[in-house]
Amino acid sequence: MSVAYRTGKALRRTVVQAVPTIFGIIVLCFLLLQLMPGDVADVLAAESGSATKETLAAIRGRAGLDDPILTQLGRYLWHVAQFDLGSSTRFGTPVSHLILERLPNTLVLMLTALGLALGLGIAAGSVMAIYAGRWPDRVLQVVVLFFYSTPGFWVGLMAIVLFSVQLGWLPSGGSMTIGTTPTGLGVLRDRVPYLVLPAFAMASFFIAVYARLTRAALLEVLRQDYIRTAVAKGLSPFVVQTRHALRNALIPVTTVAGMHLGNLLGGAVVVETVFSWPGMGRLALEAVTGRDFNVLLGVLLLSSMLVIVTNVAVDLLHAWIDPRTEAP
Amino acid sequence: MEPDSFWQRHRVLRSVLRNLSFVAGMGILGVVALVAIAAPWLFPGDPLDMVAMPTLWPGEDPAFPLGTDSLGRDMAAGLAHGARVSLLMGISAAAIGLMIGTAVGALAGYCGGWVDNLLVRITELFQTVPTFLLVIVLVSIREPSAPAIALAIGVASWPTVARLVRAQFRSLRSADFVAAALVSGARPSRIIVRHILPNALPPIVVTTSVMVANAILTEAGLSFLNLGDPNLVSWGSMIGDGRQLLRTAWYLTALPGAAIALTVMSINLAGDGLNDVLNPRSGSQ
Amino acid sequence: MGIIHDAGRNAPIGLPVTRRLALLGGSALALAPRGLRAEPRHGGTLTIALSSEPTALVAATTVVTPTLSVSGKVTEGLLRYDFDLNPQPELATEWSVSPDGLRYAFRLRPGVKWHDGRDFTSADVAFSLLLLKQVHPRGRSTFANLTEVLTPDPLTAELRLAKPAPYLIKALAGAETPILPKHIYEGTDPTSNPNNAAPIGTGPFVFKEWVRGSHVIYERNPNYWDSPKPYLDQLIIRFIPDAAARSAAFETGQVDLGYRTPVGLADVERLRRHPDLRFETKGNSYSFNVTKLEFNLDNEYFRHLKVRQAVAHAIDRELIARVAFFGNAEPCASPIAPGLREFHDPTPSPYPFDLAAAERLLDEAGLRRGANRTRFRVPLDFNPVLDEARRLCDILRATLGRIGIAVDIRAQDTGSFVKRVYTERDFAFTTNGLSNLFDPTVGVQRTYWSKNFIRGVPFSNCTHYANPEVDRLLEEAAVENDRARRAALFREFQRIVAVEVPDINIASPAFLTIHNKRVHDHSLTANGIEASLADAYVDA
Repeated sequence: MSVAYRTGKALRRTVVQAVPTIFGIIVLCFLLLQLMPGDVADVLAAESGSATKETLAAIRGRAGLDDPILTQLGRYLWHVAQFDLGSSTRFGTPVSHLILERLPNTLVLMLTALGLALGLGIAAGSVMAIYAGRWPDRVLQVVVLFFYSTPGFWVGLMAIVLFSVQLGWLPSGGSMTIGTTPTGLGVLRDRVPYLVLPAFAMASFFIAVYARLTRAALLEVLRQDYIRTAVAKGLSPFVVQTRHALRNALIPVTTVAGMHLGNLLGGAVVVETVFSWPGMGRLALEAVTGRDFNVLLGVLLLSSMLVIVTNVAVDLLHAWIDPRTEAP
Repeated sequence: MEPDSFWQRHRVLRSVLRNLSFVAGMGILGVVALVAIAAPWLFPGDPLDMVAMPTLWPGEDPAFPLGTDSLGRDMAAGLAHGARVSLLMGISAAAIGLMIGTAVGALAGYCGGWVDNLLVRITELFQTVPTFLLVIVLVSIREPSAPAIALAIGVASWPTVARLVRAQFRSLRSADFVAAALVSGARPSRIIVRHILPNALPPIVVTTSVMVANAILTEAGLSFLNLGDPNLVSWGSMIGDGRQLLRTAWYLTALPGAAIALTVMSINLAGDGLNDVLNPRSGSQ
Repeated sequence: MGIIHDAGRNAPIGLPVTRRLALLGGSALALAPRGLRAEPRHGGTLTIALSSEPTALVAATTVVTPTLSVSGKVTEGLLRYDFDLNPQPELATEWSVSPDGLRYAFRLRPGVKWHDGRDFTSADVAFSLLLLKQVHPRGRSTFANLTEVLTPDPLTAELRLAKPAPYLIKALAGAETPILPKHIYEGTDPTSNPNNAAPIGTGPFVFKEWVRGSHVIYERNPNYWDSPKPYLDQLIIRFIPDAAARSAAFETGQVDLGYRTPVGLADVERLRRHPDLRFETKGNSYSFNVTKLEFNLDNEYFRHLKVRQAVAHAIDRELIARVAFFGNAEPCASPIAPGLREFHDPTPSPYPFDLAAAERLLDEAGLRRGANRTRFRVPLDFNPVLDEARRLCDILRATLGRIGIAVDIRAQDTGSFVKRVYTERDFAFTTNGLSNLFDPTVGVQRTYWSKNFIRGVPFSNCTHYANPEVDRLLEEAAVENDRARRAALFREFQRIVAVEVPDINIASPAFLTIHNKRVHDHSLTANGIEASLADAYVDA
């Protein structure tokens, strides 16, 4: 099967599957949200410290909360079909604005974390596999097991204490120096220090996951016949390991990484809270506590689409890594 | 059971006991479980009671060897009782996830066709929604009591198992011994329970250990966001409470953090050991 | 209950320096260097930390706390208030109230311009007050008696009231009653007006940008009417939701200022030792809070006076102030906070901490200890907005356990809490916080007045308390023009509710403003940080 054929097939599959999946997600989430006690008017009134019946009624009227649930669902689906995510009752602005303002931040954080996790994870996993049973493997196994067993937010908090409070090397929160407008490389110089700690806190668990997967996959591949053949043919072990073995070991790692995107976004909720990172995870959390359902549905919808797209990308990546693999 | 699988079991048992990481993991886990079980006798009374001066450092007062928290509650008692909650939470959430996942995966993998198609779609649906967000929504629907939290974590964690079980079933369905059973006219339910499930078990067992570990970590995350059960001491809630004093009384965060890391590590060690033994070609599904 | 609430304005302008020093109060450390400094410094940036994001930048259609925190920087009010809530000029330079309390006349400041260059006139005042009466969450009650606003000339506004409203003169701070630009709001839907997110006002700061989830930036208004103020070039408001992260931001100097105890109470003592940080208690008198325990009087146990009295006997206010609030609270047995000195009754609770008395009352009520030495088991809810709520519940759970009342704490988020307590009334008792706001009629009456037993409305009378005598006292106080008589009515009210214990008032939190030592003159009025900050300046 050619890569082009696979690409076409994958894209068709995406379109065919994405629409019902997204429809399902909207319906599922919409109904789940109806089960939550209290609504946006209750929360706004509570946060205001006082309210009148009329104010509450006005808020509910604006949000259309008095209509039957099916009417609300139908209206929402109708709007989504026209690429309209509705507007936030809490902020009185379109949901698309709220999300678009945060999307870049979230993508930067997630991609950095994912890159960090894959890079460090695969590197550590490779070292562990190559030195399997010897001391670098033993040491790394303990380190990896530690990260595998420790909550990411705890790693983040400890990192704040060490790197920003004690050492003063990195900022403790935020995504950029507010009030300045750097240009060109200055943007990078300004943003990167803010990115390091949250990305690491978010990545820590996944570094461990990928390191373990890489190690296991590599060990398995290294045992297989064609590797032995390659070594027998006189290729240097390093070439064999990188070119043949790692390439094949990457398949399980990337599959899992694709599946992890959703988890990563979930983890962003906590990490963004710890580091005051203005991303979608926090937006989602605030939408839950604020009962701002349009915003929450918008975030869920978008993150789901992100996961779907990533899975397709992973399929394509597999076609590139190993043309023999079949689409699942 | 056929004698065949009996023999296999003994072999498995022997190699399991020779596996260092399994033995170490189970050893630590055993100690934790023992503490959890003995907590009501070791530390009678409510661990949420304020019994001494607040923020006593470990060792400062021999009566409270691990110190007290910001409300003067005994850390040692909290950790012991917390072990109960964290382990129970992990196990019950994993059990719920395992049950749903196995049922869905077995059905999908065994039936194939439209049933498979539909169930795969539903699985994908749940897998597409960010897990932690789903848990938060589920917890917010009911008040955060321990059973509600376990249920929420379980409900959000089943898709992994479902995929795994389905894959196993699909590959086993065409295996010779299943085909033989089918030919001999056995009922599908019997084939699933007697033949396929036991053979699909090893990877499921290993995944379960990961699920227990993740459930404990998820509960800690929920407590961090103040979404835990306020009537119980869990290690997660202890971190949440101690977090504000991180820089003056770091032991408040460090001790339960260490307890989580140790327990989760022991579960993972045991899981790794099991994996090595049950799945000698190593599971990289 | 509503923890939340304030509004306000900045410092008494033109007071002699000595008086300003006295007003500044606060820590001796802050005073000493001030005496040496002659002139406030121009320039610089001040960064304020908030724990959550405003829903709008103008407190017109919403009064959530973070909106109140920012609104006054751009949108001013007619008056501002000193620490004792005495009115001071802001957009109004002079004012008078007729002896019958039915006519208020305001002389407006001449030469004031909106940020878009238009003139500020009495038409804006009339438009704003009548609009707020419709759309402001508290406007409906604050301005209930307001019938019309006359504008005989562009610099005069006269309010006509149907009944006296003695609290009205205290409600005119910028954050509570913002004066809006008529030409922007007229003929629009005020709740979705773009001005709410990018405001134009008369204030010392001009809105620059709002990056959602991150910050708001304001810049100096060079044409401010109170030249040479403001002193700051730039004002940055950052949203930092995590308390530990806020602490870190204060320590590392990333934020300069925060109010209403902007860090976890548990962290306060440690931060006090930080060389660059200072603590200020002034500037919080526009909304004193009282933390309390509210009973559901329809509950099978708490409908009995003896049971409530027993619970009251089990409340150790000193211990709670020390442990739940880490000492940052004043024990308070009255629903009216000690800060509202004119009205507060300092008499201690008739039911002092006495577990033996509590047990006796429970025995008398027929609730004897049964299995596990437990008399009965009840759930305890708490308003999640309060930092101290969880610790307070833990303490109550422990002490009530000692007199045989088994308590299960029930956690829930704000939406669920409101639904449970105010809509479904599916609760036994709950800890809550009540903001006194600027006056007991506005802030306290609502939870005791039987006519305010309204399902579904937060911070209404959720206990279902109904006492005709209390109703009468509250209603009379609401329209009593004589200050002394009004105070006496409120004292009698406090005496009755203290005896009948529909709720147990526990403590009034001492809100702390934390600032970097480089920041000065930020808390000169009753609602310091929520005021305009025109006087604030920073060292280089």
